[in-house]
Amino acid sequence: MKDIYILGIETSCDETSVSIVKNGCDEITTVVLSQMDTHSNYGGVVPEIASRMHVENITMVIEECLEKSSLTMDDIDAISVTYGPGLIGCLLIGVLAATTLSYIYNKPLIPVHHIAGHIYANNLVSEMKFPLIALVISGGHTELIYMSDHYSFKKIGGTLDDAVGECYDKVARVIGVPYPGGPMVDRLSYKGKDTYPLPLPLDDNTYNFSFSGIKSAVINLVHNELQRGNEIRKEDIACSFQNRVVEVLSKKTMKALKEYNVKNLIIAGGVSANSGIRDKFTSLCEANGINLTIPNIKYCTDNAAMIASAGYFAYKKKIISGYDLKACANTSLFE
Amino acid sequence: MRSLFLNTTSSFVNIAILEDNNILYNYEDKIINDASSKIMPIIYEGFNKINFTINDIDNIFVVNGPGSFTGIRIGVTVGKTIAWALKKKIIPISSLEFLATTQTSKKYIVPLIDARRGNVFAGIYDNNLNVIKKDSLINLELLIKDLNSDYSFVSNDEFDIENIIKPKVDILKIVGKHLTDLGVNPHNLNPNYLKLTEAEENLKND
Repeated sequence: MKDIYILGIETSCDETSVSIVKNGCDEITTVVLSQMDTHSNYGGVVPEIASRMHVENITMVIEECLEKSSLTMDDIDAISVTYGPGLIGCLLIGVLAATTLSYIYNKPLIPVHHIAGHIYANNLVSEMKFPLIALVISGGHTELIYMSDHYSFKKIGGTLDDAVGECYDKVARVIGVPYPGGPMVDRLSYKGKDTYPLPLPLDDNTYNFSFSGIKSAVINLVHNELQRGNEIRKEDIACSFQNRVVEVLSKKTMKALKEYNVKNLIIAGGVSANSGIRDKFTSLCEANGINLTIPNIKYCTDNAAMIASAGYFAYKKKIISGYDLKACANTSLFE
Repeated sequence: MRSLFLNTTSSFVNIAILEDNNILYNYEDKIINDASSKIMPIIYEGFNKINFTINDIDNIFVVNGPGSFTGIRIGVTVGKTIAWALKKKIIPISSLEFLATTQTSKKYIVPLIDARRGNVFAGIYDNNLNVIKKDSLINLELLIKDLNSDYSFVSNDEFDIENIIKPKVDILKIVGKHLTDLGVNPHNLNPNYLKLTEAEENLKND
């Protein structure tokens, strides 16, 4: 069978990334230009600045990717791009660059949902086996997804309010940890003890999550301790908080695997870089005979390799867009 | 000489394909919603209607601001990607100078774009598009207080001032003026916002 090369473009937030992946699994080259240093001056991503940086860098990143790959556009079979969800001004740059390339080189244009991309980051680690459950955890998402086959996504549960990553960032801010807060809370938690009685978030029989309660609990805790003149033990708050989050994520995921009689689990999204989550799921899956895949740390954050990987399977399913591809700030992965 | 001309800096979009002194295809319309998803189909349709392809153009003119931040980025992204891919010359054009191609009976033309809070993006040009006052972000009252009846204002936006007319842009005039420009490396063809983001302003003022 002829090899299929997909060029992927990802600009949904603060990373300008272009990648070439062969057959949905072999990464040829990935270039990621992160804007994190710029945004850290503002305590978070500033959408207008992010959009400005994408337009300045997009052609350079495409060129660098092609040069490093030693391929030319003639070798590329199709162009895939994140069309949403994300920051609209940022998405537009990737979508327009991809559409323009698709027109000029007469290559199919493949629209990829950002979350499908995160899921397919796992196909770069090892070939995805079905059926599987995907736990998607990021700054904007917390979802349990059932996949019977490639590019078939059925939601079985999700957050009712905040995404888990969002909650991490908020907790980081409350306990005074600098941006990017999530990874810092993770690191701190390993230095602390689980001493604070935080509630287990939405501990029920559904596959849904809720993180606003534990977020408020941390805010109240810090507030009360300060009012009483007590010192806040950041490490202990981080540890107590992380333990609760990991517990509820693993509890509901393991329940889903059991009830759906599924032996394959993949974890996807930015928060899958969290060591507490990686450690817990690794040991749980080992104990329960579950085949677990988590992306390499560098593929947990936004990158175009995952978009090119997902793009391959979308291409196989003939998910092809016209030149009127629209960027969507909010769009569901599910029908 | 064959050229592609792109202006998406406001809701009045111009996309034209030119050969020497002829406009072979000219899209000129107001696009209110989703301009980003309409630009490539317009370009595609344009080249479908004429007897050469986008590969045959010699240069690209991109109006790169000031104006709507998102609008500017649409044209710039498409323009620089084409120029990079096809190794074509790319020439940035000021949106204000483009407005100043409008014919008036006055000696000077003052193109205006609303920049909110009493401010405008404005420049001053003569009838041959020579720059009298460089494009800038300026308070409207401050700008007009010294301007007499030699000046005609041109804008798509609404202002409560005299001597203001709606633009009637002339693509051949602006392309003719800039045809011999050196152009820029596509990687360096960037928006000319004439305005920092609010976050950058706040950081600067802290």
